[in-house]
Amino acid sequence: MDVNRRDVLKVLLGGTAVTAIAGSTAHVAKAEPDTIQPLDDAVGLLYDATKCIGCRACMPACENANGLVPDRGSSHGLYMQPEALNSQTKNLIKLHVAADGHERSFIKQQCMHCVDPACVSGCPMQALHKEPHGVVGWDPGLCIGCRYCQIACPFNIPKFEWYRVNPKIVKCELCRHIVGKTASQPACTKVCPTHAVIYGKRSDLFAEAHRRIQEKPGYYFEDRVYGETEGGGTQCLILAHVDYSKIGLPKMGPQSNASRVRRVTNVIYQGFLTPVVIYGGLVATIRDR
Amino acid sequence: MTEEWEKCIRLKEPLVTRPFKALLGLAGFAMLLGILREVSGLGYVTGLNDGYAWGLFKNWNVTALTALGSGGYAVAVMAWIFNDRKFHPIMRTAVLTSLVGYGTGMLALGFDVGRPWNFIHILNPKTRNHHSVLLEVAVCMTAYVILALNFENMPPFLERMYKSGDPERSDRALKIFHYMQKSFPFWIALAFVLPSMHQSSLGSLMFLAGDRVHPLWQTARLPLLYLLMAYILGFACVLLVLILCTYVWRLGWDGAILGRLAVVMSWLTLWWLVIQFVDLAYRGVFEMAFTFDRYSIVFLLQTILLLIPAQALQIESVRSKPGNLLRLTLVLIIGGLLYRFTPTSIAFIPLGNYTYFPSAIEILMSVGFTALAVVIFLFAVKRFAILPASQGKIAAEAAIRPFDTL
Repeated sequence: MDVNRRDVLKVLLGGTAVTAIAGSTAHVAKAEPDTIQPLDDAVGLLYDATKCIGCRACMPACENANGLVPDRGSSHGLYMQPEALNSQTKNLIKLHVAADGHERSFIKQQCMHCVDPACVSGCPMQALHKEPHGVVGWDPGLCIGCRYCQIACPFNIPKFEWYRVNPKIVKCELCRHIVGKTASQPACTKVCPTHAVIYGKRSDLFAEAHRRIQEKPGYYFEDRVYGETEGGGTQCLILAHVDYSKIGLPKMGPQSNASRVRRVTNVIYQGFLTPVVIYGGLVATIRDR
Repeated sequence: MTEEWEKCIRLKEPLVTRPFKALLGLAGFAMLLGILREVSGLGYVTGLNDGYAWGLFKNWNVTALTALGSGGYAVAVMAWIFNDRKFHPIMRTAVLTSLVGYGTGMLALGFDVGRPWNFIHILNPKTRNHHSVLLEVAVCMTAYVILALNFENMPPFLERMYKSGDPERSDRALKIFHYMQKSFPFWIALAFVLPSMHQSSLGSLMFLAGDRVHPLWQTARLPLLYLLMAYILGFACVLLVLILCTYVWRLGWDGAILGRLAVVMSWLTLWWLVIQFVDLAYRGVFEMAFTFDRYSIVFLLQTILLLIPAQALQIESVRSKPGNLLRLTLVLIIGGLLYRFTPTSIAFIPLGNYTYFPSAIEILMSVGFTALAVVIFLFAVKRFAILPASQGKIAAEAAIRPFDTL
């Protein structure tokens, strides 16, 4: 094969492009991961499992406020008795009993309203999105029903109406349809008789949680509040005296999965530069043939 | 006994045979079930639940089978980028497998989504989420099928139009063809960039799930491993299709080209395994592969199913025997598909007590979509000049093929 000036030029161009990409990759790798900080006015819940008496008053309150039909599960139609969060249940109190029968704790399950949510990051549309105050809302007008949010959520929160032709994603939206309009707080916190779950600004709830931890050192699990750093932080915070991983709260590092994906994507795509450079190079190469 | 494939021929065989009818029946039945799915909820017809929200349609028909449908992409790299002219006679077969693989994958996706009427909003940049990996997969896949794959599959169609006997139509076919020739590099480059993007992004999809995917599969190198596996399975699929067609319709055995496909495929597989094991060691989860729990066994099975054919195909005397080539390619395909299938299913660990096994309807639909792919393939090779053949077979056909440059 003849080597001509054009070929040499091509190799040089290609080399430059690769070097440029490698260079900027190194630059990105060096930079801090693009972590998202909670909004100053972010709101959330603080659930203290040690104060919860398991009365489940929050569950029907949630159903009423959100117009849900109670899931009566295995109770033969007598009670509201869901086995897990589902398309009829956005909020659930569960009881954890350790194998020895002594260690017990309630846990309130609902959307944690992550600071940097995987569901929002993955949603191909802006159906799942951050509302004002950092509440994770769902928009039925944009959702295509792909259910990637269900795959992505580390807490397994978003639920799907499997038995409907017009299925919706069901998850706690912190009563955003009433808070600030007809109510001052979500239904669950309003009815809680022991104030085990309270509503407020994340920074205030955080201060309150730390006040409780300082008041009783060694009482809460590892003297820390769940949601401070887990998976990039959550707006709903949890206190309990048992190992958080035993009450269904997964162990997670301080980096959110969403930011991990952004990092990998940035390294590969360089803000869409990589595909464009490769495309241009290919067109030039194939044209010669 | 080995002959050289030179040109593409149209098979002069009857289209409606007994297997064709059976496949058509399966495909038709799947469409009927599809209607049932559209008028009832997903829960009635599938085994899907809130823990395993993705099932056979996405894990099998999309994630796994589009890798198998990457033949057009993989062979195009050999034919156009490495400029290996020998691969040109098999290009048409390759791009056709891609079209049917992707096409039926997207059909399955259409039945899988719960609120398809909202798809229209994907056209509005203001309501899209530009950070979403899934958006990228959806857009790139659609663009690949509509723009690149349809373009690549045009020549046999134009050829038929040219030979229709109507001078006006022949003229139009020639005109379109000349325009195609001019813009050719732009489309071929697109047919490389788009699959590179969405095949790697299919890996990134599961990276977002974090600890919910077992550590033997969950890694930041998922995009790379998924992309390479698309190449491997793409080559494997073209190889399998060509071997089967050769057997069934006696096209002549071009040992040279099939051997080259096998060698490229086996080297890629070996490199893939090296990358995977280096990654396991780097992440410090190497021992997990040998704990012999459910995950470890699936992982070891997948490794063996890839390693054995990849090693065996390295040996010239092994791969030169058609029977061996067929069997080893099949084993490798099973191993590769297992890898592409696992992170979204077997290795997926939702919180709470959930199990998933596809329902009968789901399986029938999934099988039906695959049958539809075969039906379209059979129709195409018996109506258009697609399959490669040796000179002897071509002489027997005695046909003039004006567009054989493509």
